Amino acid sequence: MFNETPPGGADHAQMLGILARARSETLKRHAETLLADMGEITVVANRTGLVMVPMRDTVGQVDFHLGEVLVSEAQIADRAGHIGYGMVTGRDLERAMAMAVIDLSVTVRGTDAATARFLAEEKAYTAQADETRMRQVEATRVEMETF
Amino acid sequence: MAYVATRGGEKAIEQAERLFRQDLGTIDAARVETIRATMPYLIDRVMGEASLYDEELAALALAQTGGELSEAVLVLRAWRTTQPRLAIARPVQQHELLTQRRISAAFKDIPGGQILGPTLDYSHRVLATDVLEGKPFTAPAVDLADQPAPARQPSLADWQRQQGLVAPSEASNVAPQDIPDLTREPLLFPASRAHRLQSLARAETGGVLALGYAAQRGYGNAHPTVNELRLAEAEVVVRHPRGTEFSAGRVRVSQAEVTSKEKGGYLELGFAATFGWNEVKVIAAATLDLNSAEAPVGSAVHEEFYLYHTESVEASGFCIHFKLPHYVTFQSILDAMRDAKAKKAAAEAAGDVYVAEPEEEPVI
Repeated sequence: MFNETPPGGADHAQMLGILARARSETLKRHAETLLADMGEITVVANRTGLVMVPMRDTVGQVDFHLGEVLVSEAQIADRAGHIGYGMVTGRDLERAMAMAVIDLSVTVRGTDAATARFLAEEKAYTAQADETRMRQVEATRVEMETF
Repeated sequence: MAYVATRGGEKAIEQAERLFRQDLGTIDAARVETIRATMPYLIDRVMGEASLYDEELAALALAQTGGELSEAVLVLRAWRTTQPRLAIARPVQQHELLTQRRISAAFKDIPGGQILGPTLDYSHRVLATDVLEGKPFTAPAVDLADQPAPARQPSLADWQRQQGLVAPSEASNVAPQDIPDLTREPLLFPASRAHRLQSLARAETGGVLALGYAAQRGYGNAHPTVNELRLAEAEVVVRHPRGTEFSAGRVRVSQAEVTSKEKGGYLELGFAATFGWNEVKVIAAATLDLNSAEAPVGSAVHEEFYLYHTESVEASGFCIHFKLPHYVTFQSILDAMRDAKAKKAAAEAAGDVYVAEPEEEPVI
């Protein structure tokens, strides 16, 4: 079911990852700016649902189900049949729809300057948050000595 | 079988529910957000036992049940059934976790090193009563390290396999849609490893702790040492309609491996994991997994015993059903007791020795 090389390409995977973690308000605001130039859009799906998350047991190397995560999903299409898709953890249909709008815009028109700037800013924001957190975590590194 | 009807119960039941909810006051979004933001470990526990990951819904469940955990888990599991399953994520693998706590009690020099992460393990447990005197408690900020901790940490079990310390094994390579799933099929014994670990992942924390502790104290075959404990965040990797894999967000997870002694030239290991950060649960659960192989049937470390008895909703549901009317059952017990007394008195009056009839268990 899962391949090592995503068919949509690493750039697409990276963009979707950035959109899924983007700040909610800035994501929605940027999607609004794109909508005016996108013509007629059909909403294929906009719903909440569950994603089952399996995990690999490190002892027997058996995959088992850890539990389900609530997600919001949106799928839209333009008249030419291009698809925009969004899925984010949590219960926020607007976030998923905003992600789908940006995905469709990039699919059809490529990454415009404003979207490139938005993606760079959100990537930097989440990277900064991760770095700060992991510097806090690193501060708890311990060296064990045996006496 | 006989039944007792309760007259006038409808109104009493309605008022009883009103009384319960009235005592909790108005539940609004602000209360839910406060619970979500200030009690992450409680939220984690509820999400793990409900096997439904959503912090906001878990906080809501706690708010509307007043923190009655079994009720909170019950409403979350019930709500879960209203939602469609949209996908099965790519299986989470240990070396891909964003690890924030990683310790080993067995090996001090593990590859990647030991990181305490957020913990009170080495702290005095002192109640901050000053807060009640109007002095807010604000923890001092962490002194940031110059460099961040590595985003990924290697698997200790894999390293042990390379060293010949742990028995070699092959990855199962079952397609995600074919992984056994307890939410769609019954738990049968002997359980598959996938069922056992899924059941432990959603087990009730207190129940797992009690049985795991029993095993650790000596009622099991193996006394555990923590081989590796991790608190981490896992990416939820899903697939775009065009086929691109991407992360839809992160969830907090806990993992524990425990080891005991050598067997057949290798270290024995037990494993458990759950949603949320709940290390007591995964250490106790891994202890049960470790003890399962040679557990006597009927013992607390036999999988049928611990999996059945740590299933939160079934256990709490069965327990609380005993407070529902059992008048007919109990009346038959009283009738039998009075009949025996009367027969005994009659026998004694006649100078005979009364021999009681064998008791029959009432059918409930």
